[in-house]
Amino acid sequence: MYQTLLTLAIVGYVVATGLALAYLVLRDELIHRLASLATLAGWVLHTVALLALALDLGRPPLGSLPEAVWVAVWVVVLLEMWLERRYGLPVLGAFVLPVAVALSLQSMPVRPLIAPTLRGAWVWVHILLALVGIAAFVLNFAGALMYLLQERQLKTKRPGALYYRLPALETLDRLTYRTLALGFPFLTIGLILGVLWAGAAWGSVFAFDPLALLSFVAWAVYAATLAGRAAAGWHGRRAAYFAILGFAVLALTLGAGLFLPGRHGG
Amino acid sequence: MSLFVAGLSHRNAPVELREQLAVDEDKLRELLRDAAASGTVREVLVLSTCNRVEVYAVADVPGEARAALFRRLCRHRGVETAPVEALLYTHADAEAVRHAFRVASSLDSMMLGEPQILGQVKDAFALAQTCETVGPALHTLFTQAFAVAKKVRTETEIARHAVSVSFAAVELAKKIFAGLDGKAVLLVGAGKMSELAARHLVEHGAFPIYVTNRTWARAQEMARALAGTAVPFDELATALAAVDIVITSTGAPEPVIKRAMVQRIIHARRGRPLFFIDIAVPRDVEDAVDTLNDVYCYDIDDLKQVVDANIRERVREAHRAEALVDREVAKFLARLGDVEVIPTIVSLRERLEAIRSGEVKRTLARLPAATPETREAIEALSTAIVNKILHAPITKLRESSRAGSSRSWLELVHELFGLGRK
Repeated sequence: MYQTLLTLAIVGYVVATGLALAYLVLRDELIHRLASLATLAGWVLHTVALLALALDLGRPPLGSLPEAVWVAVWVVVLLEMWLERRYGLPVLGAFVLPVAVALSLQSMPVRPLIAPTLRGAWVWVHILLALVGIAAFVLNFAGALMYLLQERQLKTKRPGALYYRLPALETLDRLTYRTLALGFPFLTIGLILGVLWAGAAWGSVFAFDPLALLSFVAWAVYAATLAGRAAAGWHGRRAAYFAILGFAVLALTLGAGLFLPGRHGG
Repeated sequence: MSLFVAGLSHRNAPVELREQLAVDEDKLRELLRDAAASGTVREVLVLSTCNRVEVYAVADVPGEARAALFRRLCRHRGVETAPVEALLYTHADAEAVRHAFRVASSLDSMMLGEPQILGQVKDAFALAQTCETVGPALHTLFTQAFAVAKKVRTETEIARHAVSVSFAAVELAKKIFAGLDGKAVLLVGAGKMSELAARHLVEHGAFPIYVTNRTWARAQEMARALAGTAVPFDELATALAAVDIVITSTGAPEPVIKRAMVQRIIHARRGRPLFFIDIAVPRDVEDAVDTLNDVYCYDIDDLKQVVDANIRERVREAHRAEALVDREVAKFLARLGDVEVIPTIVSLRERLEAIRSGEVKRTLARLPAATPETREAIEALSTAIVNKILHAPITKLRESSRAGSSRSWLELVHELFGLGRK
């Protein structure tokens, strides 16, 4: 049941991605409306699928990393739809949806798996907070990418298709800052809970877990960016490069969790 | 009865000829009334701008009506008819509808998407209305043309991006800053063009305005004109630190804004972008300034490049607009229902015209002594008879198609007049 629904949701996201990219090039309002519709349809299916999965499992669908990534994608799409309206950014989908699709495809097929050690409310909170943080960083990455593209258009003085579609540099810089400020506390508390819980469950924190190690590297990159922004007045290109670096590490972290053996399942 | 448009425009006629044919409003009134009174046209509207002179009309014999209208027009302006006749384009029925839609939507304009033409068409329509030369056909056509023009403007970006240097500068500013509200502007040098650009920025919320100039009196004068503040020229570097947009237009032979000068203030700005609009030639802003982070320098050539890109955008959008117009023409014709009866009406008219001209020719051959007046009278007589005969069946055909029962009527007309298969 949830397998079919998830597959349908992916189809919705893939269609939405195609339309969003087409909109970037063709700039037809109708295409944008269709893309929004496909996104919303995919997300509704996704919601139903997650509910079905939770009912089927009798617990939140966060017990394995693939499940958790599914929830992260759900948050990413929700944030995308919200920020698109909030900032009046019809092109946002073209930058966020491909990442969402890539993440969902990595986690197919879903393999429900309950690690025997996963018990207690804290572990769910740990997973959920980390996921919301990751979702915010997907948007952070998209904002940084858009900033760099628009900055390049303005510096080279050769307005291309993107120049007309992308918003002002200030808007993009603000979007990047805010998504960073939103994601960072979630990731931080999520990681702290993970450390505390790992210490309690296994007695050691990092032993043989590539995901945990890499996630601290990602956290450090984001912490440095936030500190730079807040204290040293970092902004614009430099902040954008760091956002992209942070997201690259984060992607690596998830990849390690999905494909390498460790406590987060493989 | 048939709708047609005939005229000449920037596409096919040189400006010398267009300006000779342009008619003022009073004369237009007279022209419209005369044309209507002569009986050659049932409805008529004349669109006369510096880029086109066009006549939209509904007439029983379009060819004749067209010739009469332009003879009248040329006579009034003292222009030879023959060269004008040779240049005229004519579109009838569906093509005339498309032409009206395209003109009103600014798709046939010299500058795609320019906003004036729609107003000019509306004026021409209003004038024809006051002269009572607008009937049901032109009324329906132009009301729809205005709606289509509005649709083209809102659904495509044909009129969106700036095609003037000063507006292009404003658009660029909006791609750098999240909004122009409260963005401070500094004018270095006082020229007409920088004043224009500054005014555009103010219209979009930029405030306050500072003006500096080597001549203090000139700075004060310009500051007054823009409701800004004059700043002494030697405080230029300080002023730079406080503003977001700088428009330079001095006559200085050397750059007045140096890299070192901007670099000193850049740190204190804490990442606020600085946008230079350099419209001076030779340039006022040193090349190297552009290499600084958060600084965007556009000289006059850069701005022109942006304008060129914007025009290319308009051309791209024009393709979408053409498709939209195509759809609207089809919808319009379908609504009128004439689309299925027009071919029959055309062949019916051709058929009777062939008979008429054949018979006239034969008759005139037998009357070698006929004077030109007689010949013309015979032409007019036969044309009038044909038109009178045609009137009832054509009206019936149009009515039937609007009522959705044209099929049997079409067959009947084909049988009665021996038109052959449709």
